[in-house]
Amino acid sequence: MLSINNLRVVYHDVISVLNGISLEVKEGEILVIIGANGAGKTTLLRTIAGMIHFYNGDIIDGDIKMGDVSIKGLDSSDIMKRYSLTYVMEDRPIFEYLTIEENLKAASYSRWDNKVKDDIEMVLDYFPGLKRTFNRRAGYASGGEQQMLAIGMALMTKPRMLLLDEPSLGLAPLITRELFQIIQKLNRSGITVVLVEQNAFAALNIGNRGYVVEMGRVVLDGEGQELLKNEDVREFYLGAGETTRKSFKDAKRYKRRKRWL
Amino acid sequence: MIDFLQAVGDGIFIGLVYALLGLCIVIIFKASETFNFAIGEFLVFGAFLFYVLFFDLGFPIVVAFPVGLAAAAAVGGIIEWFSIRPLLGRSPLSMTMVTLGLAMVMRAVIQFIWGSHSYSFFLELPDITVEKGEFLFISDPIWAGMLSIVTFIVILLFLFRTRWGLAIRAVSEDQAKAMAFGINARFILLIIWAISAACIAVAGIMISNFGALSVTSVSVGLRSIPVVLIGGMDSIIGALVAGIIVGVTESLAGAYIEPLGLVGFKEVAPYFMMLIVLFIRPYGLFGTVRIERV
Amino acid sequence: MKKKALVGLSILILSFLILPFSITAKEIKTLSQFPMSGPTGSLPEFGWGFIDGMTWVNAEGGGVNGKNIKWYLEDMRYSPTVEVATFNKYAAEHDSSELILASGYITGGLKPLISKVNIEEKIPWLDGSYSNEIFGSGGGPSKYPYYYSLGATYGDQLKILVRWIAKNHKGKGAPRVGFVYSPTAWGRDGLPGALAYGRSLGIKWVAEIEYPYSATSATSECMTLRKKKAQYVIYHGYSGATGHTAIFFKTAKKILRKAQLLGTQYTTMTITIAVVQDAFDGYIGVSTRPVGDAIPRSAADMSNPMIKLTHQFAKKYRPKEYKAGLRGGIKDMFLYMEGLQYAFMLQKALTEADNGAGLTRRGVKEALDNLVWDFKGMFDGKTFSYKSHTIPMARLYKANVKMVKIKGKKFPTGKLTPVSDWINTDKTEW
Repeated sequence: MLSINNLRVVYHDVISVLNGISLEVKEGEILVIIGANGAGKTTLLRTIAGMIHFYNGDIIDGDIKMGDVSIKGLDSSDIMKRYSLTYVMEDRPIFEYLTIEENLKAASYSRWDNKVKDDIEMVLDYFPGLKRTFNRRAGYASGGEQQMLAIGMALMTKPRMLLLDEPSLGLAPLITRELFQIIQKLNRSGITVVLVEQNAFAALNIGNRGYVVEMGRVVLDGEGQELLKNEDVREFYLGAGETTRKSFKDAKRYKRRKRWL
Repeated sequence: MIDFLQAVGDGIFIGLVYALLGLCIVIIFKASETFNFAIGEFLVFGAFLFYVLFFDLGFPIVVAFPVGLAAAAAVGGIIEWFSIRPLLGRSPLSMTMVTLGLAMVMRAVIQFIWGSHSYSFFLELPDITVEKGEFLFISDPIWAGMLSIVTFIVILLFLFRTRWGLAIRAVSEDQAKAMAFGINARFILLIIWAISAACIAVAGIMISNFGALSVTSVSVGLRSIPVVLIGGMDSIIGALVAGIIVGVTESLAGAYIEPLGLVGFKEVAPYFMMLIVLFIRPYGLFGTVRIERV
Repeated sequence: MKKKALVGLSILILSFLILPFSITAKEIKTLSQFPMSGPTGSLPEFGWGFIDGMTWVNAEGGGVNGKNIKWYLEDMRYSPTVEVATFNKYAAEHDSSELILASGYITGGLKPLISKVNIEEKIPWLDGSYSNEIFGSGGGPSKYPYYYSLGATYGDQLKILVRWIAKNHKGKGAPRVGFVYSPTAWGRDGLPGALAYGRSLGIKWVAEIEYPYSATSATSECMTLRKKKAQYVIYHGYSGATGHTAIFFKTAKKILRKAQLLGTQYTTMTITIAVVQDAFDGYIGVSTRPVGDAIPRSAADMSNPMIKLTHQFAKKYRPKEYKAGLRGGIKDMFLYMEGLQYAFMLQKALTEADNGAGLTRRGVKEALDNLVWDFKGMFDGKTFSYKSHTIPMARLYKANVKMVKIKGKKFPTGKLTPVSDWINTDKTEW
């Protein structure tokens, strides 16, 4: 369905983040991408979603294809409209000053039809927790609710493919499990999911296939279960290796982006 | 007491016009963190567009007013398209700098097209002068205040009751997030500039109606600075309250402080007010206190 | 060999440097500065008038006894800084025996140039300023021997207004007068003198208000005047072509319905009718030049020879602008006349100097000091003497404005008509 070929991306013309990455997303699967901090996972998703220019990045080589058509250089709203591809950014991309209802409505902007009400019902079926705080400002909702809302908003765009960037970030294990169940449920309803995760264990458990990305390149790929058993993956990403930890990279620091509003 | 109420009343009417100016700054600031320093030029340009339609081409006011505003909106949109849009995603500071340059270019264009002399400006609105005993509120400021508050409310309804307004508020919160959910942030920004330009034109027309229209009216735009800083750069309700505060401050300073011998104090009184407010509340009366979590 | 070449080269360069001076004959040079652009609502008409006037002087007017004047015109953009800098530049670049007359436009430029013009350069300087401080009681020829003004000082203009109020006041009690002035050197100028003179005539000053250029509303100013029950308002130091004047008059008409508005030179113009419209009706103002334009222009009063001449000039040299009138052309013949006046004054002064003490700075000064002239009939046959370094003539005008309906819209028509004879302020017993 989506194939990426030898993609190279630099920020501000100098900082090379993706160094010839190639991967493929098959229709109907859950694809898991794991990798250390700074490996280029988020950049990869931004590039696919057509938002790399907004972050002062540039594609200098390679191609992104949807089927046989190149979507390289298209604007994010065009990609969303034509290919039903929605990108859920990391760190709960919700509008904190809008109510949950307004958040969902705002996400339906690209469609402009009359079925918004029905779709909100559909989202609330997936995430019953949102009903409770439906008319409150989203900024007051709990972390789990905010992440649910973010995915709910993505559903309002009627996606065929979802790019999820670290949805489990900062969530309690119980809620993470609930979230991953819902992701599986969505996948079963026909949505292709690309899941970028820190929580490699949980992600690889629900994923069909997985890629390990390092320094902007794919270093390993395989079936989800297969990767779970891989020695290196276990050591670096699952923290379950035989020897003591060799890298401090997995101690990821999270820095909130500066907010103005 | 009568003098006081009279001065406050006069201040409120002109303050409502300032509030509208403040709103125009605030909606752009909320959306792109840019302070539009070209507001005075937009004001004069918008008023001139109306002038051409109403006085030169002779359309009736019911045609000239909406068409003039639409033209002002179009100009606002076009200006955004070639000057602000290329900077999307860059530092808001660079956009603010662009508006400074824009101010100069627009002023030159206005002077080039219409010269720098004054044009008489006289809308024959029904006389609604209120005179009761000592009280006297003349017609033009009342009209200006009323029209400004109506425009203000229309903008509020647009922002909070329509789908476009929702998209604008979403983009105002975070452009990247809005883009990720399929909202065309570039287009929304264009819409915001267009709306802002149209509102400024309303304020420009009403202020011109006090006297005459000339390129020197660009200085009116400076009044928006104390307004938005008192009210908070990102607060719509703050713009309304602060607009009235600035208007009343000016009027009271003119009625009570200037006769004491402090000539010209009326001009600086709003800035004094601004300093006092900023000492107490650095983000303005209604501004969002920004928290940075690291 | 190298040395020879070097010497040859330096001789060549030196000769190029010296040659122009040795070959060209002595020229008559003048420097004039007008506001032709700039932010404060300035008008290009001054410059047009001056250019056309000088073109005529050199081509048809006979120059200076047949010799052409080399005149320089610079745009000073209403900025004293520009005026001072331009003069300094010209004074340095041109020989003091050639550049023998200069003119400026505003009070702000006169003050920093006092020692440069009067002590260092000793160059006669004509100016558009009516500053009381420089040309009136505080200064005058004894203090600033090289400054000349082209009109009665603001101090005198204000006195004329004050005297008019005292003479024409009807009703019981002393006339209650409010004074509104601009926050500028020329706005504040003459104020103390006028106040003192008014008190001596029994006038009660009820308010002195500084009304800013950046005003968006004049409500509080007018409310103060209303509270103080002002019967007369003197509006001084503003151009009639600007927005704040329109704001003040329109607001005053509504708030101070019975008060008589009066004003000084630059409000007493025909263009004010176009900008201020019917709120200008009934205004009484002083002018130091004949005001003869009208809206529409066909109604202009041509009885004054200078006005007639001005119209002829405009028709001949600027037919397009003359016809365009308010729409980007010559908006008020009065402005055009001012430029023309400078040109005629230059020619007259230089010619008199040539006939008398010679074409030097001293000679021009002597010619100006001894000048007695009717200025091409400008003051309806009256002559004046330039001994006081001001053209001491002024006249009161009254505005008659009527709104006429054309195609459903109202347009202002009217003109200013004289309500007094020419007053020679030098000869007046105040």
